[in-house]
Amino acid sequence: MDKILEVKNLKVSFRTAGGILKAVRDISFDLERGKTLAIVGESGSGKSVTSKAILGILAGNSIIEGGKIIYDGKDLLKIDEEEMYKLRGDKIAMIFQDPLSSLNPIVKIGKQITEAMLLKNKAARRESRKNFNDMLALLAKNMEAADGQSGARIRELAKTFDTFCIRANKLELRYNQADAEAEAMLSSLEDLCFLIEKKQKVDVKGRLKEYRGRLKKLQDPFYSANYKAQIAELAGCLDKAAASGKGYPPELTAALRRCEELLREIRSQEKPVFFRIGYFELKNPDADLHGVPVEKLNQMSLDFLNDHFMNEFIALAAGGVKYSHEISYGKKKQLLPRMEEAKSYFQGDFDKAGAEKLCKTLSAGVEDAIDRLEIAKDSMAYTFRTSLGNAIEKYFYYRKHNPKEEARFERQSKKRDALIARGRSVDWKVVPKVVCDLEELRQEILDVIGELEDSWKAQLSADTEEDFEKRAVGIVDYLKEQASRVVYRVTRSMAREKAIRLMEEVGINEPRMRFNQYPFEFSGGMRQRIVIAIALSADPEIMICDEPTTALDVTIQAQILELINRLKAERNLSVIFITHDLGVVANMADDIAVMYAGKIVEYGTADDIFYDPRHPYTWALLSSMPDLDTKEKLDAIPGTPPNMIYPPQGDAFADRNKYAMQIDFEQQPPMFEVSPTHKAATWLLHPNAPKVEIPKIITERIERMKKAGGVQNGQ
Amino acid sequence: MDSKREQEVLLKVEHLSQHFGPVKAVDDVSFDIMKGEVFGLVGESGCGKTTTGRSIIKIYDITSGSIYFKGQRICAGVRSYKEESARVRKDTKAAVKALREDTAKNPGKKAENDRKIAEKTEEMKKLLAENGEQIRRARFDHKYSDREYAKKLVQEVRKKYEPLLKEASGDSRKLAELKKQYKSDLKIAGKTKLITKIQMIFQDPIASLDPRMTVSEIISEGLVINGIKDKKYIEERVYEILELVGLVREHAGRYPHEFSGGQRQRIGIARSVIMSPELLIADEPISALDVSIQAQVINLLNELRTRLDLTILFIAHDLSVVKYFSDRIGVMYYGKMVELAPSDELFAHPLHPYTRSLLSAIPLPDPHLEKKRTRIVYNSLESHDYSVDKPSMRELTPGHFVYCNDAEEQKYRKELGI
Repeated sequence: MDKILEVKNLKVSFRTAGGILKAVRDISFDLERGKTLAIVGESGSGKSVTSKAILGILAGNSIIEGGKIIYDGKDLLKIDEEEMYKLRGDKIAMIFQDPLSSLNPIVKIGKQITEAMLLKNKAARRESRKNFNDMLALLAKNMEAADGQSGARIRELAKTFDTFCIRANKLELRYNQADAEAEAMLSSLEDLCFLIEKKQKVDVKGRLKEYRGRLKKLQDPFYSANYKAQIAELAGCLDKAAASGKGYPPELTAALRRCEELLREIRSQEKPVFFRIGYFELKNPDADLHGVPVEKLNQMSLDFLNDHFMNEFIALAAGGVKYSHEISYGKKKQLLPRMEEAKSYFQGDFDKAGAEKLCKTLSAGVEDAIDRLEIAKDSMAYTFRTSLGNAIEKYFYYRKHNPKEEARFERQSKKRDALIARGRSVDWKVVPKVVCDLEELRQEILDVIGELEDSWKAQLSADTEEDFEKRAVGIVDYLKEQASRVVYRVTRSMAREKAIRLMEEVGINEPRMRFNQYPFEFSGGMRQRIVIAIALSADPEIMICDEPTTALDVTIQAQILELINRLKAERNLSVIFITHDLGVVANMADDIAVMYAGKIVEYGTADDIFYDPRHPYTWALLSSMPDLDTKEKLDAIPGTPPNMIYPPQGDAFADRNKYAMQIDFEQQPPMFEVSPTHKAATWLLHPNAPKVEIPKIITERIERMKKAGGVQNGQ
Repeated sequence: MDSKREQEVLLKVEHLSQHFGPVKAVDDVSFDIMKGEVFGLVGESGCGKTTTGRSIIKIYDITSGSIYFKGQRICAGVRSYKEESARVRKDTKAAVKALREDTAKNPGKKAENDRKIAEKTEEMKKLLAENGEQIRRARFDHKYSDREYAKKLVQEVRKKYEPLLKEASGDSRKLAELKKQYKSDLKIAGKTKLITKIQMIFQDPIASLDPRMTVSEIISEGLVINGIKDKKYIEERVYEILELVGLVREHAGRYPHEFSGGQRQRIGIARSVIMSPELLIADEPISALDVSIQAQVINLLNELRTRLDLTILFIAHDLSVVKYFSDRIGVMYYGKMVELAPSDELFAHPLHPYTRSLLSAIPLPDPHLEKKRTRIVYNSLESHDYSVDKPSMRELTPGHFVYCNDAEEQKYRKELGI
């Protein structure tokens, strides 16, 4: 169970002219890595608001009343805009509902897809270079401090590392680009052969010209050194075929086939390890490595690297890591009693100035105690300052605000009562009061400190011996990764190629032509595909799909869903899929949360929700849509969702629920656990509740489905 | 549905083509809609299903083909006749040229060839004249079908009132009253258009309602245009229709923005049924609505269908809904109708590869089945070889039409076991 995103007790409301609209009322869910969570509900149920809260793009009149959204150890509701900016679109991407409003009408499609790629790449390179330098400098500093004597030697080692690491990555990049070229050409070739075979119209000359260009780009010393002669010969063949005039001469097909074979062969060769080669080349600039078999090359350069550099470097780095680790431990130990003191301070009566001062000193101590050489960052410590600061600020805000709000409520209620007593008709309601429990807020402050304290205590008491060498290797890997990002430069033409590939991937015909068109020249379905392509262009970790297929028709919907599923598998993407159509999510979702009026009413795995639904709203959703075997009248849900400015006292669905009991109108049902994975908030699950039959239309469907599934299982 | 009613064709579409420049949005589509049935039209976006619906209601002038409503031609295009004329001219020209060359080679045959040339030219002239007549008639029908219909109605009104007037000739008060009514009826009949018997419901309930008109104005607009001036009658009709579609009288004075999506769609439906249409074209009426509201609207349409004896052309891309709602379904692909069958038959024995791919893409509310479902990908180049043998619409079993060529027909027949 690897949770990538956790939402805990999220509450969001909106300030509107009519009062405070409670859009999301205390919801919690987890998203696991590589899994899909579907949030199902009708419009106004708060599903889009939840997703927007995750991305930090809520409208200006929103109030986040409480809760946490934890990604990568950080609470997304607390981190600052600067940090959010790095995550948004890059790590967490979103596909919006309305493809009309999410594209710029006066910019060409191609530019819109490549724009983010180019900008993000530029920023990422700068950022990675900074990370690389900082980490290396920090490591060197610690190494020096640990070793004590060989300062000059360490500085030299660090410098060498810097030079060859970047160099190796440049070599690798060139290799990869040549390989990508070959891949693109191969798929284009297959396509062309197919079209020729089917005697379709195709611009052969244009394609051949393109291939000539590509063949040139294949020339990388490590990639195609052994195939130089063949490539040159093939290029000649293609030229001849291109010059031979109209029609498809048999020589052309033969040449294309040979081209295909050659490319396959080139692509099947083993890839050398460039990190080692980089060092080897740096130290032996005259050695000619081209044409040396890959295996031999790898072994030779590995030995050379280890003997001359790596063994020494790792040993020193391990010393540095150990040193930094020990210092950090000492500081943490010192800080624990002070945390205890702070807790007792906040438990008592405290004033604003004192609390803020304490917060300042404590966070400074915590930040000082962090072991900066940790790769997996202890983000609880990193965000300690903002979390504690926010919690304190909120406490004092409500301490001041609560009495005012009470007074207002009192005043308005009195006025209304007086009007009614005088026999006037009153067509307005009193806006409910917004107050926060101060004790709860105090507990929040204590929790922030307590959580960090507990985690540090656990760390300190765990007496397992740390493998510092392993951690040193981890740091080297981290540096390697950063270096590869530094050299990874996306050029305009690369971005264009990638955009065209993405456009093809999402099912847009003739991407090369459409690349230069404007959004108004696309149909709704096509625009949605463009939006998906833009979201994918950043290679995100989490993708939030807000009704991505609602505007599309079945085949395209199926294609887009398959596309999302495939990307999920290939890139280990985690997906939050928001929709109102339960049919769509059966294939997609691992877990499903059914939302109604800002609350999750049922939560479970896809099997739970589809085969064993418990909440009347889920029943209603399932039975209101026909499937292929439905003949009888549909069970429409009567009425419309409630106005969330005046949230109903009991179960929000009670008004439209034909199974509603008296208690549903009076009291909010808690989450009853059906099974460890399955929960539902309905009084029907209470032991004292009367037995209620699930609507026939659903039981019949489940029976039928089970039968059909069983038959397929048996096959 | 009894078999007698099914025989009556309400709408007949023949070789309908709608070209926008080089784009063939609809290309040679033919189908009939029987009285009282729901005819579903499915296909992916851009396949021409909406264009077909709009062509029927004359939003576009069609390129070629004819559409008959209640036996009367209401739309007609002339492209096919023009092409036919061009072909005849070209053929004759070629034939004449060949004959002239023949004469140049052997002058002995001159007399015979001249006779042949004269014959050919005569034949061409005859064909061209025929075609010209067709074109003239098509243009006339296309332009004046409503006028002709109104003329017919006026005559009917006259026929109805003549004996009544004669009867009442003695009583002057009764006569005056009758005359007044006669006059207003004549006026209404003169303004009635055949096309108002076909009404359309649009996809987007928000965009299709004028935000500055009250609900009552929106709904009654059709009646007002039709020349009805009796305010009380209009009001009554509006109330009646509002209640019919599940709204209440109080809603009549409100504006569209005060309603939810489902209610707005109900207003759209009310606006179309107040003209007591015989054919309703529902262009994706539920795609823009929430799930719980979708079911309400489908149930409403189903109810109206039985109560008002409506025939519905239901255009949608949600196949489960189309299956649930329609009696017969036509599948369109890139402007062509590729398969047409009763809905149960279509889902039980889909024949055309595109239909199969479409059916395989339907999402089902069942995770286990879904995980096993494989989508069939349709590629028209791979699936068919139409280079030699040209395809056409063929009826394989009664009522089940497929667009295929001889080889494919054999294959399909084998699959069906006939």
